[in-house]
Amino acid sequence: METLENEKSQARAICLKNLSYRYPNAVEPSLKNINLDVEKGKFFLIMGSTGAGKTTLSLCLNGLIPQLLEGKLTGWVSVAGKDVGKTAVQSLSKVLGLVLQDPETQIIGRTVEEDTSFGPRNFLVPLEEIKQRVNQTLEKVRLQGYNDRLSEELSGGEKQRLAIAGVLVMEPEILVLDEPTSELDPVGRSEIYATLADLRRKKDLTIILVEHSSEELIYRADEVVVLNQGELVWRGVPSELFRNLPLLRQWGIKPLPVSQIGWDFYEKGWITLAEIPLDIPSAEGLIRELLPKYGRWQGHLQGQAQRQVQVPGQGFGAGQRKDGLFQQELDLSKKEIAVQIKDLNYQYNSDQTALRGINLMIEAGDFVALIGQNGAGKTTLAKHFNGLLKPTSGEVIIEGMNTLKYDTSDLSKTVGYVFQNPDHQIFSATVEKELEFGLKNAGFKGEEIKERVEQVLQYTGLERYRNVHPFSLGKGERQMIAVASILVLKPKVLIIDEPTTGSDWTGVQTMMALIRKLHTAGTTIIMISHDMDLVAQYAKRVIVLKEGGVLLDGTPKSVFSNEQILIDSAIVPPQLCRLSFQLEDILGREPFIESSEFTAMFESREQSGCL
Amino acid sequence: MFIEYLPGETLLHRLDVRTKMLGFFGFIIISFLFQDPKYQLLIVSLTGLLAFWIKIPLQKIRGMLIPLIPIIISIILITGFTFAPERFDHVSSQTILFYALPGEKLGATVGGFMMGSTFIFRLFGMMIASSVLILTTSMDDFTQFFQKMKMPVEVSMMLTTAIRFIPTLDKKRRQILEAQRARGTKFNEKGIIGSIRSYIPIMVPLFINSIMMANSLSMAMLNRGYGLTRTWTSMREIAFAPRDYWVMSFIVLLITLSFFVRFRLHLGVL
Repeated sequence: METLENEKSQARAICLKNLSYRYPNAVEPSLKNINLDVEKGKFFLIMGSTGAGKTTLSLCLNGLIPQLLEGKLTGWVSVAGKDVGKTAVQSLSKVLGLVLQDPETQIIGRTVEEDTSFGPRNFLVPLEEIKQRVNQTLEKVRLQGYNDRLSEELSGGEKQRLAIAGVLVMEPEILVLDEPTSELDPVGRSEIYATLADLRRKKDLTIILVEHSSEELIYRADEVVVLNQGELVWRGVPSELFRNLPLLRQWGIKPLPVSQIGWDFYEKGWITLAEIPLDIPSAEGLIRELLPKYGRWQGHLQGQAQRQVQVPGQGFGAGQRKDGLFQQELDLSKKEIAVQIKDLNYQYNSDQTALRGINLMIEAGDFVALIGQNGAGKTTLAKHFNGLLKPTSGEVIIEGMNTLKYDTSDLSKTVGYVFQNPDHQIFSATVEKELEFGLKNAGFKGEEIKERVEQVLQYTGLERYRNVHPFSLGKGERQMIAVASILVLKPKVLIIDEPTTGSDWTGVQTMMALIRKLHTAGTTIIMISHDMDLVAQYAKRVIVLKEGGVLLDGTPKSVFSNEQILIDSAIVPPQLCRLSFQLEDILGREPFIESSEFTAMFESREQSGCL
Repeated sequence: MFIEYLPGETLLHRLDVRTKMLGFFGFIIISFLFQDPKYQLLIVSLTGLLAFWIKIPLQKIRGMLIPLIPIIISIILITGFTFAPERFDHVSSQTILFYALPGEKLGATVGGFMMGSTFIFRLFGMMIASSVLILTTSMDDFTQFFQKMKMPVEVSMMLTTAIRFIPTLDKKRRQILEAQRARGTKFNEKGIIGSIRSYIPIMVPLFINSIMMANSLSMAMLNRGYGLTRTWTSMREIAFAPRDYWVMSFIVLLITLSFFVRFRLHLGVL
């Protein structure tokens, strides 16, 4: 990119000087003394855990803070040479477009065209020009020809692209996207990333992207900025950040799975920091290169593969043989069957068949992951487990109860169902009361209620929020409240729909640790998830649904070894599995799903000590 | 929604929204001119013909009518007993059929029952006419109409946003309902208090979610320049076609004729 020397001041798209901001009624400031320059035409990534101030920062950029949201703002923000403090949000929208998290509330028009034209209409752009611009913009976000479609009927990814079109149509120089993919499935997410890549190629557009996930972005972004508790703690090239695992952990950012292997080699002194791989080809090369030197791969590795909880900071200590452990658990629980499904068919009122011919048996104490593309029938199937939906034909028997004969409120004592969005169920003024609700419905009284609430508050770590209003807490905590409000009923079967959407890595770890704890205690877990890393790491059995039927069913290893079938149903296997496919000639058909399995290939007699 | 735009190509669909609005107001005026149920019956039949012409979905109309039956009966009874004979011009209407209470109290008048029938026909007529109007006019046309009537931009903005968010909120409501049912909420508690109480777990999250959505919607609107100017570019200029002038003249003629019949000939009164 050629930056003209004489226009140096013009070359800066965004300039922040000593920016601090405190929300009204907040004790701590959300942004502390931030200084940042962004050059024109760059692609910046802003990362950090929830509550780090990422959204607050993006709201400061287009003047919504302080013009819509009050609070105490100090410092200076300038965008494309305009002083944000002195320019109305509406005028700023011509130079800086902001796309928010939830696509639903950003769509104003009933049809795609009506929505896209909203911005230019406010600027009194003539009709002919609007039509032209709308068509151009829709093409940019790959929605050409959608003009007359109803915005309500679009998919999640399409809605978010429409939201991007809505700000792009005003032809801004800078595009800021605040976690635009957090509400989307993997297909929707890759649609957004592809759109961003297109935009970068076609126009000299400065892009600021706030995002949690990193695998797809690492080579796309020019620079990363990390925020931690309102402070700007890191700025530099993405690859440098992602090789520094201790820093990532400290800031609650998810490291790339392959870098975990590399970090282990680095700790052993085999490679330099710069050699830590960040993608599959380089990891493959590295392993092939190191294997003759240090490897102990003789095919007897299976005995050494270790199972261990992936908590940051915990070492790769010696563990039990994975498959052995798995076998034992199955033996223990083989007597009982938690869920039995016979010839289940389900049809929506609109005659659209959602489930066809499903036969399943889930043993008590199992940990099952339901995966599949959106619309594959995962949620429809899960809703049969607690009777929210009744089979059109066939039957579902849960812990001996036929769902046709029981009401959801009766089943709720045995089957807990945690929905994706905690805000759909929270309605009490304190966390404690929220937890009591389910117990009261189930007919528990006085002491029993108190006791159980107490137990669950401790179990989930929500004790200190007991008397706090749930909506004053962050999304991660609200998610935990939703889980806790189900756990008070001590369900034998727990269904969790996307327990980690929108959470940062720390939040994901906490939630999954809790689910694993429940599983160990004997609860049957049925988890719906799009996060294949989690599925591979935690589930004992994976069921892949496609078009309302079961496509694959087995252990994570056996399911993820069917790479082609998975890709056909729009599922991308976890990064480490894909790495093991590349190394198939060495490892054989069975893929590895944990980084410790790779490092185990290199176990030497002089143990490298703890990580 | 119960009744919404039904795309089609009939003359009624193609007419300008202003013509249709004039027709609708004309219908209301004529309907209120006459008290005699015979005249009302004629008006209702004519509107019914219009409805038949645009192939109104009969199923929906039936669905709307059935719950009204108790109201229809009570309206006729109430007017029948409460309209005193002095209120009618014609002797025939003043006739008292019978008394509900001993001592010649609370007499049922012929005129009263006829008035009741008029009310019912008027109600039906309104229902049919407004259905025809809504079924043949798109949302776009209505916003155009508001704009032409020099209403502020906010009005049409509010209207479109409301319509846009009906399906979204309905989806939210279903999700909330499911989440609460999964926690064992029972929705068949007895008594008024019971049923109100069982809906609190639905209403509270629905309100909270709507407020949160409204909040981000307001941000999204500012982001896209809403409120910078007091007006906006019209997306479509509506224009009168020759057929509109013909239809409008016909409507005006009809209204004039009705006035003539009612006030010169003194017909259609009770």
